[in-house]
Amino acid sequence: MIAADQSLARSNGRGVSASISLKNVEKVYGGPSGDLHAIAPLSIELPAGEAVSIVGPSGCGKSTLMRLIAGLDAPTRGEIRVGHQVVAKPVPDIGIVFQRDLLLDWRTVLGNVLLPAEIKGLSGLEGRARELLQEFDVGAFADSYPWQLSGGMRQRVAIARALLTRPALLFLDEPFSALDALTRDQMNVLLQRVQTTEGVTTLLITHSITEAIFCADRVLVMSGRPGAIMDDIRVPFERPRRLAIRETAEFTSIGRRIREHFEKVGVLVG
Amino acid sequence: MSVGTTQPIAEVERAASVKTPASGAGSLAAGMLWPLLSGAIGLALWEGLVRLFKVPVFILPAPSQVIVTIVEQWWYLLSQLAITTFAAGLGLVMAIVFGLAAGAAITASRLVDRMLTPWLVIAHAVPKVVIAPLFLVWFGFGLQSEMFFVVAFTFFPVIVNTVTGLKSADPEQILMVRAMGATPTQVLRKIQFPSALPSICAGIKLAVTLAPVGAVIGEFVASNQGLGHLLIRAVGDMDTPLAFAAVTVFSISSSEGTPCELIDAVKWLTS
Repeated sequence: MIAADQSLARSNGRGVSASISLKNVEKVYGGPSGDLHAIAPLSIELPAGEAVSIVGPSGCGKSTLMRLIAGLDAPTRGEIRVGHQVVAKPVPDIGIVFQRDLLLDWRTVLGNVLLPAEIKGLSGLEGRARELLQEFDVGAFADSYPWQLSGGMRQRVAIARALLTRPALLFLDEPFSALDALTRDQMNVLLQRVQTTEGVTTLLITHSITEAIFCADRVLVMSGRPGAIMDDIRVPFERPRRLAIRETAEFTSIGRRIREHFEKVGVLVG
Repeated sequence: MSVGTTQPIAEVERAASVKTPASGAGSLAAGMLWPLLSGAIGLALWEGLVRLFKVPVFILPAPSQVIVTIVEQWWYLLSQLAITTFAAGLGLVMAIVFGLAAGAAITASRLVDRMLTPWLVIAHAVPKVVIAPLFLVWFGFGLQSEMFFVVAFTFFPVIVNTVTGLKSADPEQILMVRAMGATPTQVLRKIQFPSALPSICAGIKLAVTLAPVGAVIGEFVASNQGLGHLLIRAVGDMDTPLAFAAVTVFSISSSEGTPCELIDAVKWLTS
């Protein structure tokens, strides 16, 4: 789908990940009561294989941004490229994890993970599906039905489903916000481990400052409506990461820097 | 359809083991006892009163006479029942096929939806019995007329429930498979149809109970065979015991359970 060139990076000989490039992208929703300026003109360059978090207040256009990059919605102005391809229709080479796991109740766990392969007409991925489930500690539940799993397990199945076809991009739209704090920590560790092994370009959208830092090489801080990038922060920690790094001075100082942005725009009152 | 998202296995198993099967059989027998008893008393009263007041048989036959008629004419009754069932079944199958196809078309296209749905609502409001004589004009005397009347009688619950079911699919699940690159047909097959099955099943269940009624009305008007025709003829001949026998046979045959569990199995096959 995407031509092999310098915008693609081969990682660990596994998947081929793609870069993302946004140039002056703007989104305005027209309505009877006036226009809603969802995203201010913004430009972002994400190299292939990078793990990026977008953190911002509710309604800052994070999810809109993701829908635009995935090609599920068209920008009002500006240009989006995935690899070297200009995005004009849904980008097929992309795995998306939503806030709700969206598992299909009438399929087994394995059947759910294999769904993207069926849609794309690919066969022979059952071995990969079972491997992913094994890696996510839900291998024993491959033949169970979703209702037999806990919330954390269901979301792990959803991530396995997103990764099945070795997509060039992995998008996670507030994937852990419905989980309890402890499960959420486990999922964060799992996610950053998967990013390392799969080497896929990752875009994580979250409300949690801690999660944004822990799971990414780079954090983009978004302001409220219209959405704009307020800061672009490198996260220097080595992978694989342990939860303990969250208590280091370096980690907390990044957290403080992000919080200060939110205080400045009035989202947080210090 | 969806069970709570955070239900651990242990809890589900515990919930399942709470139901004790021991008391089930006993309470069922006890539950059957009282209605059977009241039924027997009712029949005995009926029999006694008819004999006591010497009610003419063409006005009200005694239960014993009805039973005798059923035993004597069982072959005639069953063969007419078979004809009615055949017409009802054929009409039902056609109604299901049309209903599913039309439901899918209405869900798939906004244009079809806007053009057809208002007329369906209007057509649904017309009492079907009123137009039964027209079927005689359109399709002539016999099975075909009866069958098309069954279609008209059972089509609506199928289509209404199909459309409701298809539209009830989770929009986020549809967005998800669209993001995977699914075609509209794939969205229908993988998400909308499985999501709609419980609703479609409910529609078919309704249609199954309506179909024999439709067939009998069709026979009243436009047929020279079947239970409906038998009933009209028996009443015309003042053979009231035969009419009662026909009503009894019809009631027993259509009170059987609907085979919807079988339809549920389709869900697992298609997904």
